[in-house]
This record gives sequence, C-alpha cells and structure tokens, in this order.
Amino acid sequence: MSAPQPLRDRIARDLAPARPLPPPAMRALALVPVAVAIVASVPALHEVRPDLPSIGAMRAFGFSIVQAMAGIAIVAAALRESVPGRQWRSRDVIALVAGGVLMAALLPGFAAGAFDVAPGPARVAVAVACFRTSALAALPALAASAVLSARAFVLRPAVAGALYGLGCGLIADAGLRLWCEFSAPSHVLVAHVGAVLVSMAFGVVVSTMIGRRATGTA
Amino acid sequence: MTGGDPDPAERELAALMRDYLAGRLEAFDALYAALAARLRAYLVSLCRDASVADDLLQETFMQMHRSRRTYQPGRPVSPWVFAIARHVFLMHQRGTARRVRFLQRLAAAMRADDAMRDDVRSIADVDAVRRALGAVPASQRRALLMHHVEGWSFAEIADRLGIRLNAAKTRAFRGMRRMREQLK
Repeated sequence: MSAPQPLRDRIARDLAPARPLPPPAMRALALVPVAVAIVASVPALHEVRPDLPSIGAMRAFGFSIVQAMAGIAIVAAALRESVPGRQWRSRDVIALVAGGVLMAALLPGFAAGAFDVAPGPARVAVAVACFRTSALAALPALAASAVLSARAFVLRPAVAGALYGLGCGLIADAGLRLWCEFSAPSHVLVAHVGAVLVSMAFGVVVSTMIGRRATGTA
Repeated sequence: MTGGDPDPAERELAALMRDYLAGRLEAFDALYAALAARLRAYLVSLCRDASVADDLLQETFMQMHRSRRTYQPGRPVSPWVFAIARHVFLMHQRGTARRVRFLQRLAAAMRADDAMRDDVRSIADVDAVRRALGAVPASQRRALLMHHVEGWSFAEIADRLGIRLNAAKTRAFRGMRRMREQLK
C-alpha cells in the first residue's frame, strides 16, 4: 500500500527535520524554577509560619519541598498524558488525583504535628486569605504547564488539564504551608484542599479550551 | 510501558520514524506502507464505513506528520500512531454529531418557519375567502354556507329557507361559482 500522491505531496512540502520533544519528566523540570519562585514567594510576601521554631525548619520546609516535588511529578504525569499512546489508564489517573488530594489534606497536620490547630474566631477571614493566596499562587505554574502540555499533542485535554492543575495546586499549597500553620480539618479542607481542587478545575477548563482551539472545535 | 520493545517490526518502525523525523520522504513512504493497512482496518472497525475510513486514514497520516515531534525515539511507534488514529476518528465523530445537531436545529427552524408561513398563508387565504364571499349575493351566500360550511342537506336548506329543493341547489351552486370567480 503506497501513499496517495496528494498526501505525499503535502507531506513533502513540509518535511523539515523535526526535533523530538524531550521525555515528559525532562520537560517537567522546566517547572522547577517556577515552583521554587512560588514556594519562596508566599512566605516572602506574607510571613513565615509563626510555629516554625517549635516544629523545626526540617519539618516545615521538608514537607513543603516534598509536596512541591510531588506537584512537579504530577505535572510530569500530565505531560506524559499529552503524548499520543502514553495516556494513563483511568485507575492511574484516579490514583494520582486521590494521592494529590490526600497529600494536600494530610500534610498540614503532619507538618504542624497535630490535626487540631484552628484559626480561632477569625477562621473565615483566615480561610479566605489562604484560599486566595493558594489559588493565585498556582496561576504562574498553571500557565507554564498549559504551554508545556500544549506543545505536545493532547488527546484528552480534560485529563491532562486536571493533572497539571492538581500538580500546580500542590506546588502553590506547598508555598502556602510555609505561611499557614493551621491544620484543623475544616480549615485544611476548605482553604487548602479547596484551592487545590479549584486549581485542578481551572486546569481542566484551560486545557479543554486550548484543545478545542487546536482541533478547531471551539 | 517500557522504553525498549523486543518486536523486530516495532524496531524497524522506530528506525523509520527516526529517518522520518530527520526529514526523509522515503521513510514516510515506508511508514505508510507498513502501517496503512493496519490503520485502515482499525479505522474501518471504528467507523464501519470503508470510504470514511479511507478519508480518516489520510487525516491520520496528516496528524501524524503535524505531531511527529511528539514521538519519542526508541519507543514503540504503533501505540503512538494508533492513538492518533483513534483521536482522528473521535474528532470525526464529534464533527459528524455536531453537523447532525446543526442540521436537526436547522430542520426544526425551517419547520417552525414553514408553520409560521402556513399560518400567514392561511390568514391571507381566509381574508381572500371572506372578501370573495362578500361579493356573493346574500341569498346565494346563505345557501352556500348552509350546505358547504354548516353541512345541511339541500332538502333541509329548502325546508328552512322556504324555497324549493332545486332553488336551494341552484343558489348554492351559483354562490360557489361566484366565489370561485372572485378567488381567481
């Protein structure tokens, strides 16, 4: 079976050598400077969490670094999802999402050493401040991830977007935890996990919009 | 998924992809020769239409060409190509569904338009009939309406109007003829 001449002509017209994209994990490394900037900027713009002397720098920064690395790994998973033939199975996607959400839900408690450090009477204001800070901090990483993902060939934009949105939400939350010392479930679920989920939803929307534009179905 | 694939056919495809990425048209020809039949069979199994599958096959190779830099050297080519083929099919299916929805909306709009036009036409017709009826002499109009609209028999009309049967028939007939002339 040989290629029809019109197809062959079209291919021949545009057959410049093409450099393959680096593997997803390598491409995700481009996000490291963005992640470092986000994690560093939250305590720099606000303040370092007041319980730092009691919990120790290792616990405070260590958990944040681990979470930021997990966020980058999930963005790498999204970039792998963006390559044809390398899509994740549904159960893998569910496991990645569940793992990411669990991490955002549990690490504040582990970092604080207790799961009942509550903001007190100003809990709504604190929750709003945490949520807003986290959601805004995720935006630069989201933009960078969207560009990285769109450079490949995304076959399931919603899945890729959910994954990189989740990864970026985790990176932002890692920075937030260097400022926020609260670990009460109500605060963590609303302000921290809520912001991560919003980032994830935003990733879905952005990726879907880019996908529609790319396939001309907008 | 692993990077290496022991399948010699996949190794050969990977080598062709390398050459294709380097810009060699003969590599594209060889890839087409190696993949087209399998891809076509796959597309036929998805869309169950050979002619559509032929179109989708060309589109698959075009998409493969556009996104060739997403192929990672050393990895199996088939999963990459078949994922693109499936995507092309899904895009086609979505496009078809969208076209069908558009045509359904268009048909519904046209039906609504037709109904409106019929209403307007029937209003116009009623108006014309009314004018024509107005031009029919009163005695003939009455007989005509009693027979053709109210459904009375000529015997009943004759009885009711106190005229002979033939007169009732004549009035209704003449009234109808007059109306037809008016409506022409």
